[in-house]
Amino acid sequence: MKEQVTIRVADIIGSPLCISAEDGQKVYEKLVPLLKQGRKVTISFERVTTIISLFLNAAIGQLYDDFDEGRLNDLLSVTGLTDDDLDMLKRVVDNAKRYYANPQSFDQAWVLEGSDEE
Amino acid sequence: MRIMQLKINTVRSDYAGFNGIAAVAAKSKEIVLDTLELDFSVCNFFEANMAAPLYAVLARNYDRLNDVVLKNIRPEILEILRKNHFLTRFGYTEAHDRNQTTLPFKIFKTGAGEQFADYLDRYMQGKGIPPMTEGLKKKFHQSLFEIFQNAALHSKSESGIFVCGQFYPNKQRVDFTIADAGIGIRQNVRKYLRDNKISSCDAIKWALQEGHTTKTGRQPGGLGLKLIKDFIELNKGRIQIISRHGFYQFAYQGDEIRKMHHDFPGTCVNIEINTADAYQYCLRSELQAKDIF
Repeated sequence: MKEQVTIRVADIIGSPLCISAEDGQKVYEKLVPLLKQGRKVTISFERVTTIISLFLNAAIGQLYDDFDEGRLNDLLSVTGLTDDDLDMLKRVVDNAKRYYANPQSFDQAWVLEGSDEE
Repeated sequence: MRIMQLKINTVRSDYAGFNGIAAVAAKSKEIVLDTLELDFSVCNFFEANMAAPLYAVLARNYDRLNDVVLKNIRPEILEILRKNHFLTRFGYTEAHDRNQTTLPFKIFKTGAGEQFADYLDRYMQGKGIPPMTEGLKKKFHQSLFEIFQNAALHSKSESGIFVCGQFYPNKQRVDFTIADAGIGIRQNVRKYLRDNKISSCDAIKWALQEGHTTKTGRQPGGLGLKLIKDFIELNKGRIQIISRHGFYQFAYQGDEIRKMHHDFPGTCVNIEINTADAYQYCLRSELQAKDIF
């Protein structure tokens, strides 16, 4: 059986502030290869003082594009979150599930007209 | 070089106040390499946090290489705007904030989230701003970061993000305002939905829906504003979003959306919290960590 791994968010981003999508991306990039190997991962938020949804969308929300819900439920766990932050993470996860169930297509070729009309 | 003179009326954090500031933008948008003279002689009151959206308008003028001169400012307004450091941008000296009720005017680069955190740590602690419950303080900080980072991510503001706050002891309220001189919500939503006809008001309404985001990299989002609204409702506070021709306000009594008379050149979010709120925001949750994923 593969050993459980703990990822310490504050160490990865070098800060107690989980406030940017770039830092969320760093955490995401650490998680993906471990999850692909089928490792059980605990995401530790010890020593983190501030977390916002923008960070969680990048760090955890986008995992639902790569892995199915059941697999993430088996492999992922979190520690060190206050109850209200846990509530926020739950909303981020539920939002991500909805988003990837029905992703919006985005047409890069479409051109915005420079209209100031209301 | 010609001089354009414009009068500034009383400015409060309301529809009329934001329109007054947007009017300066609309009237001065054609001038280049000229002088914009703002005459405060009929301004009886200026809510200090409104320095942030005013500067967003002035930043557009600086972009067009205009000079900006402020004149005929009443002594009491002069005092407030020197205390919050806004007027140091125009050659005035700082005034000592004896009661420490200001969160000073500051300009941040769009990637300066950590510096914004330092700013909040420095100015939100104690001072004249009343002690809030830990839960309230945390929710307030989270809300400000969500707004700041939204501006950083979406505004494309080349001149940065302008912030300013003020504690109003009589009302037991803190107003904190974050403004940018960027493209506005409307342009992002139009591009995302591929619809050139969406109005500013409709774009704001769209952006407020849970799960709606204009991010394009297959990454979920669109929760930040909803989380803030939920907090504001519990706190009996208020949030205002002004972007281009749209004015939106949400308070615990209800919400309203109105078309602005003038085009505000960017986006401004003002969040007002009730500092006397004793609600415990860190209530025990029914949720178990194992139920998250």
